[in-house]
This record gives sequence, structure tokens and C-alpha cells, in this order.
Amino acid sequence: MSINAWLLPLILFAPAVGALLLTLIPENRPDLVRRVAVLVTGISLAGALHAIFHYQTAAGGFQYEVLKPWLPQLGIQFHLGVDGIGVVLLLLHALCGFTGVLISYSIKQRVKEYYIFYLTLITGVFGVFMSLDLFCFYFFYEMAVIPMYPLIGIWGSDVKEEGRVKYSKQYATMKLTIYLTLGAVVALVGLLALYQWTGAQTFDIPTLQAMLADEPLSTAQQRWIFPLLFIGFGVIAPMWPFHSWSPMGHAAAPSAVSMLHAGVLMKLGSYAIIRIALPLLPQGAVYWLPWVASIVVMNILYGGFVALAQKDLKLIVGYSSSSHMGYVLLGIACLTPLSLTGAVMLMFGHGIMTALAFAIIGQLYDQTHTRWLPDLGGLAHQIPFIAGCGVIAAMASSGLPGFANFVSELLVFMGGWDKYPVQIVCGALGVVITSVYMLRVVRGTFFGPSKPEFEGHVHDAKTPFEKLPFIILVLALLITGSWPGPMLRLLESSTGPLVERILMNEPNTAPDSIQVHSPAKPGHASASNEHSEMN
Amino acid sequence: MDLSLLRVELCVAVWIFVLLAADVFLAPAKKEGLSWLALAGIGIALVVSLQPLPIGPAPTGLFALDGVSHYFKPLFLATAAAVILMTQAFRPQMPQHPGPFYVLLFTSVLGALILSSIQDLILLFLGLELLTFSLYIMAAYLKTDGRSVEAGMKYLILGSVSSALLVYGIALLYGAVGDTSFAAIRAFLASGELTLAAQTGILLVLAGLGFKLAAVPFQLWLPDVYEGAPAPVVAFLAVGSKMAGAVALMRLLFLALAPIQPWWSPILASLSVLTLLYGNLGALGQRNLKRLLGYSSIGHAGYLLMGFAVGTLDSARAVAFYLLAYLVSTLAVFLIVCAATDELGGDDLDHYAGLSRRSPGLAAAFFIALLSLAGVPPLAGFVGKLLVLMSAVAADRLWLAGIGAVNVAISLYYYLMVVKRMYVDAPPSPSPVRVPAASLLALGALILLILGIGICQAPFLSRINLALIF
Repeated sequence: MSINAWLLPLILFAPAVGALLLTLIPENRPDLVRRVAVLVTGISLAGALHAIFHYQTAAGGFQYEVLKPWLPQLGIQFHLGVDGIGVVLLLLHALCGFTGVLISYSIKQRVKEYYIFYLTLITGVFGVFMSLDLFCFYFFYEMAVIPMYPLIGIWGSDVKEEGRVKYSKQYATMKLTIYLTLGAVVALVGLLALYQWTGAQTFDIPTLQAMLADEPLSTAQQRWIFPLLFIGFGVIAPMWPFHSWSPMGHAAAPSAVSMLHAGVLMKLGSYAIIRIALPLLPQGAVYWLPWVASIVVMNILYGGFVALAQKDLKLIVGYSSSSHMGYVLLGIACLTPLSLTGAVMLMFGHGIMTALAFAIIGQLYDQTHTRWLPDLGGLAHQIPFIAGCGVIAAMASSGLPGFANFVSELLVFMGGWDKYPVQIVCGALGVVITSVYMLRVVRGTFFGPSKPEFEGHVHDAKTPFEKLPFIILVLALLITGSWPGPMLRLLESSTGPLVERILMNEPNTAPDSIQVHSPAKPGHASASNEHSEMN
Repeated sequence: MDLSLLRVELCVAVWIFVLLAADVFLAPAKKEGLSWLALAGIGIALVVSLQPLPIGPAPTGLFALDGVSHYFKPLFLATAAAVILMTQAFRPQMPQHPGPFYVLLFTSVLGALILSSIQDLILLFLGLELLTFSLYIMAAYLKTDGRSVEAGMKYLILGSVSSALLVYGIALLYGAVGDTSFAAIRAFLASGELTLAAQTGILLVLAGLGFKLAAVPFQLWLPDVYEGAPAPVVAFLAVGSKMAGAVALMRLLFLALAPIQPWWSPILASLSVLTLLYGNLGALGQRNLKRLLGYSSIGHAGYLLMGFAVGTLDSARAVAFYLLAYLVSTLAVFLIVCAATDELGGDDLDHYAGLSRRSPGLAAAFFIALLSLAGVPPLAGFVGKLLVLMSAVAADRLWLAGIGAVNVAISLYYYLMVVKRMYVDAPPSPSPVRVPAASLLALGALILLILGIGICQAPFLSRINLALIF
């Protein structure tokens, strides 16, 4: 049996097995605990790298599939598989998870419990990115949300303003958990409605997709379900006006959790929309997405302006994340192959960039015990390596050429220009705002005169081991940014057919696809061929 | 008369006399052994109840040993076994004289067993009274504790009112139909007649059962009784008594009232919404764990009612699955409460501060059991909720499913507040909480079941699909 048959289960279950192993290790062996965590996330990372390098771009579709019966009475299967989009996000999560484990070496209290929750969280997110069954999807989705509560509640930190507690970590983590669960259950009702109204007695996404291509749900039904799914999953994306849990949660979480949270968890929402809502409810999507395009401009601008006003480093990056996720949602709303490719690419680029930013802030906080911008300054003198990484993260965030973020934002703007020029122009303003607050952060943190109170207390990352997570993330940003071709081709192999299939039902709009099949009947034939191959 | 139909009930009834005799003849120093004797009785009954059903014609008459009762009887007995283990763990707080307690537990289980087999209104009343009467006394069992006596008193008064309503309802129904058997009522209703007397009678019978289920507006007794009564009794109230009410309601609705489903469905649906909201919103501000669990059990009654309101075979099966998941999760919770109350110094939420530092395993089990009650995957409670919501959506009650789904998020808040106490707050003392070996074993089995039912649902669902056919 080739490795492809058990590659995804390996990636998925390595952290889960790790978490189980940790329960057996005595609490007074923190080093052993950390090593196990590094090992299992390392296995997942290796698996994810293997998956992306061996993905057959020419063949496209879902690969590395695993299909086992789970609850046959309800048509539930344990169905794993990834397409071009999934495989990229798998790599993103593996990178963030692995570097997060390394960054978590700074956690000194209750190490064992920390890693058990952390590895459970990682398992859940992996599961979401590879699930091809709605039940599996929801199952892992909720599994990823719950460990956040203890992770932030125990190891997080209160968010302070001028030395006073602005809101406690308890408040932040409860708000996060309730928001995300509320979103999830709203989406669940949508999923159940989809299941019942299709009448197919199956939760299998490819099967549903094939069935709905032949006999779509009525337009009215699609228009009902689509907002349930879009808002439900949009909460975690985080879509304005349901975003308020997110900066707060980022700010209160310990560094590694912020990294995963902003880097990967927020992408679960946009991924769910791409994987479930768009292909299964094409008419609902076409009906609602123009509204979405306008709403997400609020995401971009509102998040940006609020970030401008913040002085806590984590809050700045937190609001900036919700602003940048606006571009992702805009790319989805534009619904062209180009913009959708850009959106997924941005999910990757932004994920890595934010993970890097939170890793740096975590280091700063450990050393200086403050994240308050006015208290920092001149740190480039003491910690040149971290400062260098910080400047790179800021440049990536501002969308400078050479980073994945530049490529992907450009793709979103180009892809959407024909459809929503006004929204694109407004959205592009966000790039300017980002530059302003990022430059402010870089200047206020790293540059300026050296502050005497930090002299001798603040240490740079010196050993290769300490530098490793930063190097991995910076390399990931630079490689994908300066050489985006392979990843873009990978994504196009999945986004192209997806958009084409959605717009197939629209008689007036000829899809400006990259891989132009003819939009009418032959396209239909090729699409249904793909279905039969997938099954 | 075929006595083999009554084999489980007979086992339990005989053991009541065994326990009574043992209580009289055992030396006071050896009374500890009574709990093991009681467990042995439950064990025998459990083995008997698991015997396969005789294949034959559909049962008629007062009492039926059919798929439904065959599915639920072992669950009642398992609940009783867990409650006996809880009394062992709870011993420091129990009076010196445990004999009558076990006798009462057995009579009340007998009532529950009868309720799972009813085919007649008279037997409904009989089973319900047998179940409830014993519980009145058990709730007030800590004679020196004012709160326990108060709990017993409140339960007695409100329970009697509901019994009165039930009897009046049965009388009216009898007046309208001329018979008390479910089959006759069904035939009467199928003929298309729904007189005012019959309507009033049905409503009053539903009210009596609503009291058992703790459905709004018959739930007022519950938080006080839960807070005051001894923890093992509360566990039996929460699981055994509620499940008995649910089974009786299921039999009544599907065997007797099926023809007028469009009439009762909206009534139960609106009660379900009220019950869900009352329980889950009421629990938000609670500071006492037992009181919190009381409100949460009202919330769970809301999900049961939702399943009944949908009124399809799938929804009845969903309710059966929900009850199984609720049973394992709630029993795990109460095993921990019983074991920990004495050492923690009470059952307020704050007493659980830092439990994860004192006893990591116990706290982890509590965490899992609470999240299962909340309905989080990969745990049993999630599948139960999913099935109920699915059946609602299948019957085109999207709004009902929506309200149920939102309540999952609401309930997560108060369950997580308990988790917060255990995992975030600092412990008052570092000493671990000791749990008797037998309880620990039972707790481990329950946690494995919570995970097992949550992950490998298929065999449990097949079992239910085979058993529940109306």
C-alpha cells in the first residue's frame, strides 16, 4: 500500500496520539512532554510537506482520499481528502502548529496540561481542513473550538490599558468560545437543512456536490440556507459585525495560541465557506455575495482604523487580522477564479505573517513584560534578530512585493475589479492604513533611542533552536512570496473548476476563468466527469 | 397470566423483601454490607432484563414487554446501580442507618420499570405514584439537615398537586372514552372525535407527566429540591425519574395519542421552547453546583420535549439516544459530586476551585462529562443533540431546531464556568480528593462510554432502531 493511502490519517492522528501519550507522562517531566509535542507536530509537518509536493496538480480534484463507514444509518462516512486549497491550508496549519510548539517552550507552568489541550486543538484543525463529510467537518470544527477556552483561560494574560485591566482573560476566552459555538450551531442548522432538503441521506461533500449539480435545490431554499452557513462560519472568519471576539481573544491568549488562532483558526471560517457554502449552494451564493462584498469592505476599513488607535501590540495585530481577513472574504465574494485564488493565497500568507508577528510579540513580552507601545522602543539595539524578523513581518503585512501577501492582495484586486470596482477601491485604501500602523509599530518598538531599562534584561534569540521557529516562518513567507508560481498553479487547479461550476447556472455571466473551458454545455459535461472520477 | 413478562419487576420486588429482612437481621456493625447486597440484587435484575425478548404477537393488556421497555429497563437498573455506588461515596454525609434508603430506592426503581411497560392509564398512575412516593421520602432522608427536609416537603406538596391533576385527567379521559387502555383511547381518537372532556383530560395527564420531566410550567419545585436533597437522590431524580417520565410520555403519545398528533405537537413544541430557555437562562447565574445542574436538567427536558413535539419515529429514536447520552453523562457528574462533596466542604461552585490541581484525573472526568452534557463532539451528548435537531429539521421545524441549537451555545457558558473553577482558579488546599475504588471504576466506565457513544455511534443507534418500533 502506498503512503498516499494513510498520509492524511497520519497527519491527523499524530497530534491526537501525542495528546494521549502525554496523559501517561508524569507532570514533573516537562522536557519529555515538550519533546513528544515537537515530535508529533514534526511528523504532521513532514506529512503536510509530502502532501503538497506530491499533489498531482494536473489531475486536480480531491487526492489522498480515505473513506471508511462511520454511521451508516445516517449516511455519515469518515471521509478525508484534500484538493489544492486544502493541501495549502494543511501546510499552513502544520507550519503554525510546529512553530507554535517551539515557541511554547517559554510556557513554564502546567506544561503537561498545556500541551494536551494544544495538541487537541491542532488535531481538530487538521480534521477540518481534510474532512470531505459534513458531519466530520462539524465534528472537528467544534473539537477545535473548545480547547481554546482552557488554553486562554489558564495560560493567557489580562489585557491592560495604562496599567489597569481593560478586560480579563476570563472574559475574553468566554466571549470567544460562546461566539464561535454560536456561529457553529447556526451553521449546523444550515447543514442539517441542506442534508434534509437534498434528500440524499448522505453527508458526503463530493456526492452532495454531484447530486446538486444535477438537481439543485430550489433558489428559495438556497437563499435560506446560504446566509445560515455564511454567517455561522463567518463568525470565525471573522466577519464584521461579528468580529469583536477576535482581537480580544488574540490579545488575551498565550503567544502560541494567538499564532494558531490568528494564523489558522480564523481561516476555518473562510475555508468552510469555500468548501461547503459556495459549491453546494451556487444560487444562494450568487444572490448574497454582492451584499457580502459591501459588508466586508467594512471589515477592512473598520479593522484598520481601530488598529490605528490601539497601543497594545497584540490588539494592533488582532484588529489588523480582522481587517486583512476582509480581503480574503472580498476575494471570495468577487467569485472569480483569480480572486478566489488570491483569497486562499492570502489565507496562507496572512496566516504565516500573523503567526510570525505573534511569535515576536510573545518574545518581546517575555523579555520586557509589556506590550504597551509607548513603553517600548529602541529594541533593535538589544535584540537585532527579533527586530529583523519584526521588520519582515511588518513589511509582509503592509503588502510589499516579495511576500505572499502582496501577490495575493494583488490577485484579489485584479480578479474583482470587473465586478465590484467601488468596493475594490475602498478595500485598497486598507493597504495604506496597514502601512501606517505597521510603520508606527516598527518605529515605536524597535527603533529610536535605546532604553536603559531594557539593557541587560532583554536577550535576543541566540541558539539555533531558539531561532528556528522564526527562521521557518520567515522562509515560508519569502519563498512563497518571491516564487509564488507553483502554489498559485496548485490553487488554480481547484479554484478554477469551483468557480466555473458555480457560475454555470448563471446564463448571463461568462466566467473569466483562467483555464477557459467553454461556459455552456461542454463545461457541464466536464464537470460531471470530474464528479465521477472523484467518487 | 404469563408471569415471565414481569420477570424484571419480580426480581426487584423480591429483592425488596430480601433487603428488608437483611436490614432487620444484620448486626448494626455489618450494615455497611447492605449496599453490596443491594448491588447484587440490581445485578441479578440486570442480567434478567438483558435476556432477549420472546418472539410472539404484539402484546396487549395493561402491561407490555416490548422493544421500548426492553431497551429502557436495563438503563433504569444501571442508574440504580450507579446511585448505590454514589451512596457509598457519599457515606460520610448519609445517616448511620442506610437500610430503608435502599428499600426505597428499589421501590422507586420498581415504579420506573413498570412505567416503561405501561399500556393503560391506571398502570401509568400506579407506576408514577410508586416512583414518586419513594422519592418524597428519599429527598428528605437527611433528617437533621433543614434543607433536605425542606426539599422533601416541597417535592411532596407539588408532587401531590401533580398527582391530583393526573388522576383528574385520567377520570375525564375515562369519562370521554369509556376505557383506560391505550388501545381503546387510540381507537376513540382515530374515530375523529375530540370532545372537550377528552381534550381537558389529555392536557391534565400531560401536565402530570410534565411534572416528572420538569417541563415548564411544572418545573418550579426542581431547583430547590436539587439543592437540598442528598446528592445520590438528586442523581436518581435527574436520571431515573426524568427518564421514567420520558418513557411514559413516549408510550402515551405514540401508543394512545398518535391519531391527534397535529393537536399535541404545537403544544409540546411551545413547551419545549419555554423549557429550553427557562432551564438554560436560569442556570447562567447559579452559584451552587446542584442547583445549576437542576436548571440544566430542565434545559435537557426541553430537548426531550422537542423530540416528542416532532412526533416522528426518528424523533422518538433520537429521544432514546438522547436519554442514553444524558444518562451516562449525568451519572458521571453526580458520581464526582457525591465523592467530592465531603472533602471539598460543600457543593457550591467555589468549592470546586482548583480541582485540577488537587485531582487531575477527577477534574478531567468532570470536564468530559460536563462537555458531553453541553453537547460538544466527540462526546455522547453531541450525538444525542444532533439526532434530535436532525429529526426536527426533517419534519420541517427549522425554527425549533434553530432555538435548540442556540441553546447549546447558551448552556456551554455555565458548564464552562464550572470548568473555569476547576482549571483556572487556585485550590484552597493541595490535598487530593479520595474516591472509593468502586466509584472510581464506575466513573472510568462511564467516561469510556461517553467517549465510545460519541465516537462509535453506529452500534448504539442500531440497537435503538431495532428496539423502538411503534
